[in-house]
Amino acid sequence: MSRLRARYGAGPAHLLVLIASFAIAGAAVVGWIQRPRDLEGVLIWFAAAVALHDFVLLPLYSLLDRITVARLPVRSAAYVRVPAIISGLLMLVLFPTILGFGAHREQAASGIAEHGYLLRWLLLTAALFLVSALAYALGPIRRSA
Amino acid sequence: MSRVRLPLPDPEKPPPGPFRPEFWRSPLRSPQLTAMLGLVLLIGLPAVALTGLLSNDAYQPGLGGNALGRDVHGPLDLYLFGWPSDPSWLYAFTQGAHVIIGLAVFPVVLTKLWSVIPRLFEWPPVRSPAHALERLSLALLVGSALFEFVTGILNIQYWYAFPFDFTQAHYYGAWVFIGALLAHIPLKLPTMRRSLALRKAVLDGAGPLASPAVDAHARPLTSPNPGPATLTRRGLLTAVGGASLILMLQGVGQSVGGPLRSLAFLLPRGRTRPGPLGFPVNKTWIGTGLQRGAVGAKWRLTVRAERTVVFTREQLLALPQHTYDLPIACVEGWSTTQSWTGVRVQDLAALAGASGRMMLTTTSLEQGTYGSATLGHEQVSDPETLLALRVNGLDLPLDHGYPARIISPAIPGVHCTKWVSEMQFQTVEA
Repeated sequence: MSRLRARYGAGPAHLLVLIASFAIAGAAVVGWIQRPRDLEGVLIWFAAAVALHDFVLLPLYSLLDRITVARLPVRSAAYVRVPAIISGLLMLVLFPTILGFGAHREQAASGIAEHGYLLRWLLLTAALFLVSALAYALGPIRRSA
Repeated sequence: MSRVRLPLPDPEKPPPGPFRPEFWRSPLRSPQLTAMLGLVLLIGLPAVALTGLLSNDAYQPGLGGNALGRDVHGPLDLYLFGWPSDPSWLYAFTQGAHVIIGLAVFPVVLTKLWSVIPRLFEWPPVRSPAHALERLSLALLVGSALFEFVTGILNIQYWYAFPFDFTQAHYYGAWVFIGALLAHIPLKLPTMRRSLALRKAVLDGAGPLASPAVDAHARPLTSPNPGPATLTRRGLLTAVGGASLILMLQGVGQSVGGPLRSLAFLLPRGRTRPGPLGFPVNKTWIGTGLQRGAVGAKWRLTVRAERTVVFTREQLLALPQHTYDLPIACVEGWSTTQSWTGVRVQDLAALAGASGRMMLTTTSLEQGTYGSATLGHEQVSDPETLLALRVNGLDLPLDHGYPARIISPAIPGVHCTKWVSEMQFQTVEA
């Protein structure tokens, strides 16, 4: 047992848990292989999801923050950051709808041609910044009260 | 046997850039923040995974052609139980929860990834075989989580940008995620508990965060070179929680419907057409490409069991009619409950001489992906399972399946076949 710990770097439970986990992942690949033409696309999307998040999205928003909001006075930076994070996350999740990427399929499915999502997102963003500005303006009053 | 010694990276000399702890400046990163986010995900992610597995069960992939070509006899094709037909809102609830919780949890997932990103660049990259395997498992965890969220989020917005079949990819991808999560939880639970206990100790005034014991445990998440504190932890949680709340309400709006539907103002299902027949449609008549003549006076319904019986719409209307309030619940997480009137499927089975435990395969005039669906005996034996001819007191509109459609409690909407042309009852063994 101690030899395993010395060679492997952790106890047997650690090894067993990970082997079980990899076995499940392997079985999932067997499931994907049912449509061999799909497998390549799945694996590419799988790897691209990690690469795009870790090496593009995260550095990009960190950099964006560093060259904009982080240069603001400390007292006001948070009041810009909070609405910007909310608005940005909504765009990240809902951009297919907001920018109309699924509109054609959606109309065939629902029979409704809906427009104006971008305007709604902009209005919501404006409202978030407005609330934040109010909180900023009222902040000192509340603290002094 | 001689041992080959590879030149190992010097653990004390990380290359410049992100491999050095001082590269990471945010004063917000800490084991405590990561543990708090981890606790939220410890509840949220299993809920999303479980409701997802339930959805697979609701589709009853073991019956007829419901699996859409998937071989459902593999090790991960759990088909644990027949899907119940009661309560009628069951699938609307489980699938609504799947999408609502998924939307709400996604910002927390991204924040958790942000909070641990220095770990991606830890130095040395591999300390032991155990460490290497654990990092590989983490790659699967992060990859599958992003894969599942991205495909799910695109699918509910009708943007089928992925070059693969959604159901199969999302289902087996979920298993990669579940497997990796089942390893991650026991391996990291002690760390999370220790971090939360330390946070409590600090809050209780038992000691400053900078005590040596804490420092040893905190590296490398806590920056040794923090920048100015321009956002408090509460500020960060307000931002992430705010985004989660708004996304959650989008899901709630399209799932609960009625006056709440307009909450989903940034999702495709936030609006309906006016009037008693304006409730949401999953596939429009125009979208089928069918000709008007196919559903005119020449339309017939063929019911097959012991014998074959053919009905006109007038003959169906002359049979005993029943009315029930039943939901259409879609995999995209939207649903709508309406008042449906039609003939009990049980009655049609009896007229065709069928009895006992039966499943029912319905075929549509429309030969698309869900042009045929099979209902289990739970649905067939439920008196509320109808071949609907009218809705909300009016004839079915073409978009909702005129001349006749299936409506059945607690099943996915796409299995409620529209423009039905044929019903085939088959006996199933008990």
